[in-house]
Amino acid sequence: MDRKELETQVLNMVAMSYKKDVNELTIATSFKEDLSGASVQMVALVSEIENELDVALMLADASACATVGDLINLIEEEM
Amino acid sequence: MELLEQIYEKAKLHPQKVAFPEALNEKMMQAAYETGKDGYIIPVLVGCAEEIKKAIAKRGYEEQVFEIVDIEEPEYKNKVIKKYVALPHTILKEKALNRRMANPLYYAMVMQAVDEVDVTFAGIDNTTGDVLLAGQMIIGLKPGISTISSIGLCDIPGFEGSEGSLLAVGDSAVCTNPNAEQLASIAISACDTVQSLLSWEPRCAMVCYSTLGSGQGELIDKVVEAVKIANEQRPDLAIDGEFQFDAAISPAIAKKKVNRESKVAGKANIVIWPDLNVGNVGVKLIQQFGHADAYGPMLQGFNKVVCDCSRSAPVTELKGNIVISAVRAAAGK
Repeated sequence: MDRKELETQVLNMVAMSYKKDVNELTIATSFKEDLSGASVQMVALVSEIENELDVALMLADASACATVGDLINLIEEEM
Repeated sequence: MELLEQIYEKAKLHPQKVAFPEALNEKMMQAAYETGKDGYIIPVLVGCAEEIKKAIAKRGYEEQVFEIVDIEEPEYKNKVIKKYVALPHTILKEKALNRRMANPLYYAMVMQAVDEVDVTFAGIDNTTGDVLLAGQMIIGLKPGISTISSIGLCDIPGFEGSEGSLLAVGDSAVCTNPNAEQLASIAISACDTVQSLLSWEPRCAMVCYSTLGSGQGELIDKVVEAVKIANEQRPDLAIDGEFQFDAAISPAIAKKKVNRESKVAGKANIVIWPDLNVGNVGVKLIQQFGHADAYGPMLQGFNKVVCDCSRSAPVTELKGNIVISAVRAAAGK
């Protein structure tokens, strides 16, 4: 899977977990400032990544990501 | 009768199946054995059956007190996975689930989700973070609830409140800085927890440094908003505020400070702190100056009863918390 494809998939998963319109999201979207989600949403996102991409992230590592782009970098490292 | 005695008696009426994913831990196995042998619960040990059986024999326990689930046995595992993925609103799919279930903590929770057991009791080897994560992934949150939280039950000598010397307080352990919506969730969950464990009619006060507008500021605004959200979500519950702590629990002070009808003011049996700073300090004050016994923390907000004990908990504390969680599960059925 190339980077662009991965970005699209992850943005869709973020939109689903945080109940946002995917068109509002970019790789620069900040989890803290733009999504203001609780850990519950991050758990849903990590689970979805595990389901769809077969990558089991540590919640603490995923929660440490500032932006969606950081999360995609983390997934790439683990793939 | 003391509070714990009452709860132990209740547990005996309908012994629940409690899964122990840290069965090999010596203290955990002892607590599971003693509560099982005395008829309070049916202990289900989840892990490698061979190792568990060896440990049971070595420690001199009667094996028939336990049910043992071997996580390496494929037939039963496939059966519970099949049941689990057929449930609505689950977030893990079969492949991810299969991998996670190599960990007995996840295995036990999947069993619980499909009603093979009633409670998962862990936390002696796993961290609180591990237990909360597995709980959120496998068991999930109750509809309308936005955060996991906890309450504790304080038995305060000399306190003459609306439930005698008892007072439930929360959250003093889990949710650090709840927003208004989360604070409302904590109050709603606390009412449900107290109702299921003690059969009290919940009267829940949301406290801060102001009573009905006596103070102003953003710290108060959050609590006012939380009361509003909680009342909209659950009009059946008596949740009121914002109150100062004394106006919440003292009828004389409530009479002075609360100039409107309230089912809660002066007679609250549940107090909800505005954040974890207040909650942690509050409980320590009750323990240090009030010489109170504090039971819990009891986790709440999950679809089913998940229990996380302290990693340094002695066997007596483990047994108390096992029985408390079993009674909550029985009441929730």
